[in-house]
Amino acid sequence: MSDKLSSALVEMREDDVLTQVRVAKEAGTPATEVIAALQDAMRTIGDKYETGEYFLSELIFSAEIFKRALAELGLDQAAADTDAKATFVLGTVHTDIHDIGKNIVASVLSANGFKVIDLGVDVPAEKFIAAVKENDARLVGLSCLLTTAFDAMKSTIEAFDNAGLRDMVSIFIGGGPVTAHLAEQLGADGAGISAQEAVNLAQAAIEGRAA
Amino acid sequence: MSPTGEELYRQREQRFNDIVALKKPDRAPVVPLGVGYFVDLWKGYSYKDAGYNHPQHYEAIRDATIEFGWDLTPMNTLFAADGYEAIGTTQLRWPGGELPDDTGFQFVEGEYMRAEEYDEFLADPNGFTLRKIFPRIATNLAGFEQVPIPPLYFMANTYYLLNVGGPLLGAPPLRKALEALLAMSDAVGGYFAADAATGAELAALGYPRSVAAPIIPPFDMVSDMLRSLRGSTLDMYRHPEKLLGAIDLMEKAQIGLALMLIQLTGNPRVFIPMHRGAGGFMSDEQFEKFYWPSFKRLVLAIIEAGGVPCPLFEGDYTPRLKYLAEFPAGKVAGHFDKVDRLKFKEVLGDKMCFWGNVPLSLMCTGKPQQVKDDVKELIELFSDTGTLMLDSVTGIPDEAKPENVMALREAADEYGVF
Repeated sequence: MSDKLSSALVEMREDDVLTQVRVAKEAGTPATEVIAALQDAMRTIGDKYETGEYFLSELIFSAEIFKRALAELGLDQAAADTDAKATFVLGTVHTDIHDIGKNIVASVLSANGFKVIDLGVDVPAEKFIAAVKENDARLVGLSCLLTTAFDAMKSTIEAFDNAGLRDMVSIFIGGGPVTAHLAEQLGADGAGISAQEAVNLAQAAIEGRAA
Repeated sequence: MSPTGEELYRQREQRFNDIVALKKPDRAPVVPLGVGYFVDLWKGYSYKDAGYNHPQHYEAIRDATIEFGWDLTPMNTLFAADGYEAIGTTQLRWPGGELPDDTGFQFVEGEYMRAEEYDEFLADPNGFTLRKIFPRIATNLAGFEQVPIPPLYFMANTYYLLNVGGPLLGAPPLRKALEALLAMSDAVGGYFAADAATGAELAALGYPRSVAAPIIPPFDMVSDMLRSLRGSTLDMYRHPEKLLGAIDLMEKAQIGLALMLIQLTGNPRVFIPMHRGAGGFMSDEQFEKFYWPSFKRLVLAIIEAGGVPCPLFEGDYTPRLKYLAEFPAGKVAGHFDKVDRLKFKEVLGDKMCFWGNVPLSLMCTGKPQQVKDDVKELIELFSDTGTLMLDSVTGIPDEAKPENVMALREAADEYGVF
């Protein structure tokens, strides 16, 4: 079942994925097994994105199919989150209200086994810090589209410093104008310019290695 | 004797046209496609004022054009904030509205049309726009939804026009919406009056306008404006035929709009901002099915009407260059953001001029010498044909350092005389 299910998702056959999930559920297959097969597919999709075989369209659609498959199992994201690898606090920084890229990152991270706390847009530093404390999160993603929001990114990272939390979290920046150079300048732990890079950075951080 | 404004105007217009037509010019011009807050920040004005004080903003564009030695007057990329207020737009946030005074305006992309509404839109796009979209994008236009207006052709006679249309239009919900539209029109009228005044002044001094008539490609009209990136992406898989139907409607509208604006503005240079067709968003197969055919027909229709399509290829267009080679040579002024310039030269060097591509990061955080070095590299690359126009990635960036903007001109004078 799991190979067939994985390849259905990798090949973007939405109806097929949902049918197989339904059949598996009716046959009494444990939900964790079904989710594992789906996440296996998400990893393959991520690899195909990295090699240029797949594009943003496949990342968006597969994350969407994944969400529907969870619903088919009678689960919501919260149920899937109970087995999450780690918690990732995500938001678009203060003064910037762009959320397209951030939303894609949220759904792709979720489909890859991370619990995502999405704080929305125009998020002040204090809100990031409160969410990290509340959820005992170790991963933080700051998003922006505007170059004018670089200052807000910088002050958010500094706020973690001032709160004495900087060493406990990995902070990544993402969005159209960010670069690895900017991450270095702002004192972030890495920069991602695609949703897949966000997954890679998060995965590397929880494994304690460089992405 | 130095040339008159009229002579300078003719020379600059000719130089632009020669470069597009792939004829070697005397020198490489500096042609900013557009400009927004840069001119206001340079003058010490606020972001908020830039959107509200139209004469002040346009005068700043005039002064910058002269001061920084631009060959053509850039298009203004800011809109009338008093116009946003008049209709109560929900599709933008701006300084003076919900945003702080020291930040630029931002577009709110959303699913203004839901996937299950395609059939309704396709069956009656005009009615759907009036009754569903207007109220969603502007709170003061809510009246169009509150009154259950039947298809408008019921008024195709004096009887209904007078006896139903008359009272309907005067009743509070529609009256409010109509008054909001008129207030919007007045606000935008002041904005365009300022545009016309500085445009005429600059033309007399010898500066033609860069581009006008913004025309959004059919796919982006659906993706950016109606369905959002997520929505249009899912539609490619789930509702491909409906998505294509909407793209087809947008193609007809955008071609009509382009031809109308060429006629009304008298400027043949049609600005086409390109979004979702860039490398990375979709596969070649999807691009060939959903993005390219309608865009190509739009470009060909503009050429056919005597216009000069000026697509701004935002994002990285390197993976798409092979498609652009299908356009007739010497007819399209391609403006590039992040493309691989060497690859462009190889694939399109004998088919299309090259415009833009001096990196945003250099303009905003680099040093003048770095800007000059980059311009020098471009000029050397295109020195054989001279088919090059200098600019940053999408016009002059808002936060560009003035000395770096000046460096574009200095580098053009230093290295760009053929």
